Amino acid sequence: MNAFRKTALGLSTALLLSPMPAAMAQSGDAVTIVLPGGPDRLDPCETPRSVIGRIIKQNVVETLVELDYAKQTTVPRLAESWEQTSPTEWRFNLRKGVKFHDGTPFDAASVVYSLERTLDPKLTCITRTKYFGGVDITAKAVDDNTVVFTTKTPMPILPTLLAQLAIASAKTPKGEYTADPIGTGPYDFVSWTQGENVKIKRFDGYWGEAPKIAEATYVWRTESSVAAAMVETGEADLAFSIAPQDATNPDTDKVYPNSDSAMFRLSADIAPLNDIRVRKAFNLAIDRKAFLGSVISDKAELATQQVGPSVLGHNAKLVPWPYDPEQAKALLAEAKAAGVPVDTEIRMIGRPGMFANSNEFVEAAAEMLRAVGFKIKLDNLEMTQWLEAANKPFAANREANALLTMHDNNSGDAQFTAFFKYHSDGRQSELHDAKVDKLITEAGMASGDERAKLYQETFRYIYEDLVADAPLFHMVNYMRVGKRLDFTPTIANAVELQLAKLVVKSPS
Amino acid sequence: MGNFIYKRSLQSLLSLALLIILVFFLARLTGSPADLYLPLDATEEMRDQFNQRFGFDDPVYVQFGRFVVGLLQFDLGESIQYSKPAVQVVLQAFPTTLMLAAITMPIVIAVAIVTGSLAAFRPGGMFDRIASLISLIGASTPNFWIAIVGVIVFAVWLRVLPTSGTGTPWHWVLPIAVLCLRPTGVLVQVVRSSMITALSSAYVKTARAKGVRSRAIVFVHALRNALLPVITVASDQAAGIVNGAVIVETVFGFPGIGKLMIDSVLLRDFAVIQAAVLVTALAVFIINIVVDITYALVDPRIRHS
Repeated sequence: MNAFRKTALGLSTALLLSPMPAAMAQSGDAVTIVLPGGPDRLDPCETPRSVIGRIIKQNVVETLVELDYAKQTTVPRLAESWEQTSPTEWRFNLRKGVKFHDGTPFDAASVVYSLERTLDPKLTCITRTKYFGGVDITAKAVDDNTVVFTTKTPMPILPTLLAQLAIASAKTPKGEYTADPIGTGPYDFVSWTQGENVKIKRFDGYWGEAPKIAEATYVWRTESSVAAAMVETGEADLAFSIAPQDATNPDTDKVYPNSDSAMFRLSADIAPLNDIRVRKAFNLAIDRKAFLGSVISDKAELATQQVGPSVLGHNAKLVPWPYDPEQAKALLAEAKAAGVPVDTEIRMIGRPGMFANSNEFVEAAAEMLRAVGFKIKLDNLEMTQWLEAANKPFAANREANALLTMHDNNSGDAQFTAFFKYHSDGRQSELHDAKVDKLITEAGMASGDERAKLYQETFRYIYEDLVADAPLFHMVNYMRVGKRLDFTPTIANAVELQLAKLVVKSPS
Repeated sequence: MGNFIYKRSLQSLLSLALLIILVFFLARLTGSPADLYLPLDATEEMRDQFNQRFGFDDPVYVQFGRFVVGLLQFDLGESIQYSKPAVQVVLQAFPTTLMLAAITMPIVIAVAIVTGSLAAFRPGGMFDRIASLISLIGASTPNFWIAIVGVIVFAVWLRVLPTSGTGTPWHWVLPIAVLCLRPTGVLVQVVRSSMITALSSAYVKTARAKGVRSRAIVFVHALRNALLPVITVASDQAAGIVNGAVIVETVFGFPGIGKLMIDSVLLRDFAVIQAAVLVTALAVFIINIVVDITYALVDPRIRHS
């Protein structure tokens, strides 16, 4: 009992001596930011992953080129200018007088090093696997401030691609991941305590304008209501994504597109979905608008294609499918009369947690389809099983299926969607249509307006002529921004948050 | 006594070995990590590179052999997710979990023994009824709900405690309170029924007849005899917390081992799953030994048999 008393006494003394929680509220030019999940590594070559990019991209490490989502274009960052000198060659002029946090100068050699390190097959850097996969590219330092990139095949969107390549100091080890990112950004990495927080602070030797925020602490809470509560109580200044049901305060809770698009991919080769009337009926039977404001946020947009409006190649002229169960029934009857086995069971494949309320969504959608005469079997699969159903090679005797997918394109270009989702060789493509293949190949080689036009035609053809799948929604996230800050989130915040753009309203 | 501990250790080591073999092979039945760590459109070449790097291209028995050899050198492999030794990842999370258990269990045991004993003193009395009702509520209310309500009431409305996270002792108050609730509820019930049995036994009647003070009867004579089932249940609850207080860790953003284990299972981070199971199993194994010794100390029949 004595030991217990001592412990109790010790604990209560510790409690009384420590500052009251009120003192933990944020003040001055330091901010605390709540992420939905913690990082597993802080490597510059992993910045396209939101969990890492939101902390270090353009804060600690910078890119040569930056995406301007609003204008669907690229703007200079560490590169001052660039030009295409031949179809397979680009010349980049680098910013002068830039220093890494470790004191080494930023120069052409460090750009070459960063590219080589990122493309090293020993690492599975997402910048390589997602963006540079299949791109045969080399970089050469012409002088200290000039780099020439050479690709084997023409690469008209190289600047867009380079907006994903974070430049790290040559002291970053090759062939192994780093937990200590050294970049040129306005913030210097301070510490990372596993499971607790990441801290960064203002870098005094920054080449650009010094940011107002002096230091930032990143913490993570899986539970959305706790993340929201942290901002409400002033323990944190900004919570990245809170659930729609926690976004109850219009003064602090702001909506932004997260570049995710949901759709049902239809197995267009397998009866009865191999009949276009059945696929049209499938689209007409789903009351998409009824989901907005119920299980999906009322700020989400109805989709007609797999890329959102901020992506080059998005076709704004396409009109969302109306909800017309009568016409759906008529189309099914017509198909049945023509000998299509419309009574065949269709497997609807969902995945719990794909997005908030995705289980409720597939259940309701299945009911809507049954109401017009479809036979639907609902299967909610865990990630690895879902991937087996989603990816090629497809199982030999698979049944007709409608697979719920959520696709994320925040790269600014339709190439990263079109090939993967619709080309005959695309890993998740159900199509093998010569015209689609040709359009995608041509669009990939083109640049500027021509490129946009070709992708727009691709999406129109797939949507209107082929009715290949059932596009659903362009999704949104809710960010809670504390009263101390003046900030409006945009689609860029799906993968980054530039602290330099945060404004503290009333520094205390 | 030494012989007794030696035998128990041997048994536990055997089950530990079995557990590790099971976890190793069952985890590998759940699918390839390459699918989860590479983007959807990764090429076959990238997948081969990935599998080679982590040794997943070898037959499972070769992987197992490598694992056993590594185990003997205290090398449990590399975490795919964190790109550092799995042991390091696990040992960074485990102290928080141990600390939670070490603070929670004494509070639970003290509250349960006092409340349960007092309730058993007059079964059916006012104190007994109130204590039973509250302990029943504590034992049956879902943890995550209590945790979130706790945050809303104490952090958002009253502003007397922080919502979540670590840093000051204040941060530990809500998680510990939530963590105490269910084990206390269960344990109060166990102490109460065990004490009722003890208090109705012949030696208590004798003590009463001899005029021993009630307090002495309850806390000295009856309690010691009623303690065995309490130790059993308490050790079970402690093992539960050591295995990870997942809900408390998730809601309050506590960097413990429960959440780490679940994330590793979802992400097929085999090395971390194995290391975490090994470390927690060892901890449970130590708890069991301690409990066995406690039994022997409390009950001479065990000591001398």
